[in-house]
Order: sequence, then C-alpha cells, then structure tokens
Amino acid sequence: MLKIINEQPDYIIAQVNIAEANLNHADAFKSELVSLLTDKGRSVWLDMEQVTYVDSSFLGALVAGLKHALGAGNDLVLLDLQKDVHDLLKLIRLDRVFKIYADEQAAKAAINNNE
Amino acid sequence: MATGLSKNVLLVDDNPLFLKILCQAFAAAGFNCQAANSGAEALERLKTFKPDVILSDYEMPGMNGLEFRLNVLQIDALREIPFLFLTAHEDEGIMYTGLNLQAIDYVLKTTPFDVIVSKLTNLLHTVSKQREISEQEIRKTVAALNIKTVPAAPPKVNGFDIDFWHQSYQNIPGGDFIDFIDTGNYLFVVIGDLMGKKWKAWFYTFTYLSYIRAAIRFSVITADTSLADTLQQINAVVCQDEGLDNILSSLSLMRIEKLTGRVIYSGAGDLPLLHFRSGTQELLQVKSTGMLLGVLPDGFYTEQEIALAPADELYIFTDGLIDISAGGQQKTDYRYFTSQMAGYLRSGQSFSDIKNKLQQQAGTLTDDSSIIYIKKN
Repeated sequence: MLKIINEQPDYIIAQVNIAEANLNHADAFKSELVSLLTDKGRSVWLDMEQVTYVDSSFLGALVAGLKHALGAGNDLVLLDLQKDVHDLLKLIRLDRVFKIYADEQAAKAAINNNE
Repeated sequence: MATGLSKNVLLVDDNPLFLKILCQAFAAAGFNCQAANSGAEALERLKTFKPDVILSDYEMPGMNGLEFRLNVLQIDALREIPFLFLTAHEDEGIMYTGLNLQAIDYVLKTTPFDVIVSKLTNLLHTVSKQREISEQEIRKTVAALNIKTVPAAPPKVNGFDIDFWHQSYQNIPGGDFIDFIDTGNYLFVVIGDLMGKKWKAWFYTFTYLSYIRAAIRFSVITADTSLADTLQQINAVVCQDEGLDNILSSLSLMRIEKLTGRVIYSGAGDLPLLHFRSGTQELLQVKSTGMLLGVLPDGFYTEQEIALAPADELYIFTDGLIDISAGGQQKTDYRYFTSQMAGYLRSGQSFSDIKNKLQQQAGTLTDDSSIIYIKKN
C-alpha cells in the first residue's frame, strides 16, 4: 500500500497507492507505516495524490502513524491531498495536527523556512 | 459487506493456464477473483486487496506455499483470512505441516473446478454464519451488561423539542454514541464518533462514555467548570489511558440551561453543526475549535453560546451521514449533505420526515450514522 518513491537523508517520500482508504485497509496501512517509520528512522512524507476518499478508520491510522513518528522525534507529512480529503481534514481540524503541503518542493521550502 | 455473501478470492499458482481457467470458474460463480503467479506477487497484491479466502498452490518456485503461508500469518490484518492449499498429489507429510500453519484444508488439483468453487462457497457461507453468531453474542453481552451507547428515547425538556436518529453499521453496537445527561438545572447533550469500526468498538465506546459522564457530573458539582474545561478534562484522561492508545473520538457537547433556555456548545474534532433560523430560513454552520479526543494532550477547546430564536432548529451529526456513494465511488461531501438539509428544511419538512428519508437510505450506509435534533419552542 506504500511505495517508496524518494529517499533523502532526513525524509522518505512514500506513495499511498489506494483510492478508497477505508476500514478494509486501515490496520494493514498502520502496520506498514509504523514499520516504515521504524525501519528508516526518518520522517515520512506521504504522497496522497491517489487517495480520493478516507474514512474515520483510516484517519485514525494516519494519526497513529503521526504519534509514532513524533514519539521518535520525526514527523509524518501529507503531500498532494485531493480537495475532498483536504476539506475533510480541515472540517475536523486535523489540518492543525498534520503538516500538509501541495508537493515536495512546497514542503521543503516551508520546513526550511521554519528551521 | 452489508448484505449478501462477500466473495473475494485470491488464487496463487505458478501455472498461468491453470490460474486463468480456475479464475474464470470463480468469476462465473460470482466471485471477485484476483490471481498471482507467485507468493511474492500475492503478498504485494494483499497490500491493497483483502480477500475473504486465499487458495494457494503448494509447490511453487522461489517462495513455496508453506513459506507464503508463514508470511501471511505474520501480518495481523491477514492472519484470520481462511487459507487453503492446492496440491498436485496427496502427501500426508505436507498436509500435516500445512494444517499446523492453520491452513483450513487441502484441495487436490485434480478436483473438478466446479467442485473447488462449491467447496469455497460452502466455506464462505460457514465463515459468514459463524461471524453472524459471534455478532449476536456481542449484542447479547452488551444487552446483558446494560451497556447502552445510544438511549432508548429522547429526553423531554420544557421549551425544547429533542429527538435523534441513529443507525449502527451492520447493526454492531459501538462506534457512534449518543447520551442525554439530566443534572437537574441542565441537560447535557452528547454525541460522538469513535474513529474506526473495530471489533470490540462497543468496549472502547463505553469507556469513553464513562469518562464523559463522570466529567459532566464533576462539572456540575464544581459549578464553575466551563464546557470547554470539561472537554479538556475528558481529553486529558483519554490521552493518559493506555487502554485507549490510538483510539480517537469526535465529540459534540452541548449544555441546555433549563431555566434560561441558553444553549452552550463545545466540540472536539466534530463536524460543524447546523443551525436553521426559521425566521430567515438560513441554514448556518456552527464550528467548534477543538481537536479530536486522544490526539494531543492540549486539545484547544473553546465554547460558545448558540442564540436560538423560537422555532430555530439545531442539527448535530456524525460523519457517516456525509459519506456518499457516487458513480461507484465513495466520497465525503459535507456540502452535499447540508444542501440536502437546507432543501428539506426550507420546504417545511419535519424531523420525522427527515428521519424517514434517512431510514430509507440506511441500507447504503458505510459507517455508523447519527443525528440529534433540537428545536426551541
């Protein structure tokens, strides 16, 4: 479900290659994400372009991944969210919890500015 | 699946011709069949496809069937999927090893295809029946323990009409919860959604409700506690409870002051509620500021008063109601739901009418769905 498309010294970009991110995928996704964060020991930037729908189970898995990343001093960043998915995150204020950017360049620029 | 027997099968075999013909036989019997030529390909496929049953060849080059089975057993989300081996010949040693790896059965490759299909269909019927029995057991247990996550009837409060509608996904208790807590001078209205419809969701839901009920009772005893502080206290306890690790919930909390008719609202990661002004026929969104419970120790909770004029209505709801299926695709559309509600309300439809419409759509729901209605008289 996660395909690594770019490895950098301080972060990894992984593509989430499902369209309907729902209860059927949530547990497997969480396991895969936590393994990736643990194995690589770096922040993970998720390319969410292919995800057209997320349900509350999958959002729970994303938050669990974020908490795992933050606990290890890393981060979980969301890139290229579809409008419907971004709107949902804003509706329930998760946009204040995740760092959300249009693409890798925007994320790098924002994170460099904050450092 | 909400209705009917779910029939997704993953076939694994290194013989492409055998795989193709078997897949066609399954497809003809109404199965959604996916095929993989090797254990490695099957493991890759299982990252995005969750079958109801796996049928795998035993003898394959590279990763053989037993190694593939061992890999599947190591993945939590896959380990419970019924697994059967296909073998070219009867070998008691192989069968014994495989059955020790919780493979349900062996199927000889010489078995006619229609018999293999019938065998798997019967197996899925048995699994489905067993699940049904387990769910009935849960419902019985919940009823016996008197653990209610949704009240039997709405409360009666002078000056207000209050009602609600709730439909649990696949009729399994837990997930969404509703409560009305009458403390004398106040009526507290509680509606929340535990994120994810997990097995045992009712247990987590009950734990959440226990904390919420306790925090509200304490807030009444210490009369100076604001609604936002109450939410913060609930969140703090949830964040500290190891048993609720990674169990998140939205919560809308409302306090109706019976003597004054004031309505105070605070929310945690909840959807903006709807305020229908009967005088102007406007449908307004009322947004809260707080985070979902269980995400961060400080949830940024605030509270606000909602000024209701006579005949104004409030609608508080969970996210199951804004999930819609369009063109075979699932999507979340808050705006669509609010425009539907605006249409109903401006054409003078009552909450009973709206409940009827929701009930008609209940079969298509993919999550728990709940809505509370409050009207000021």
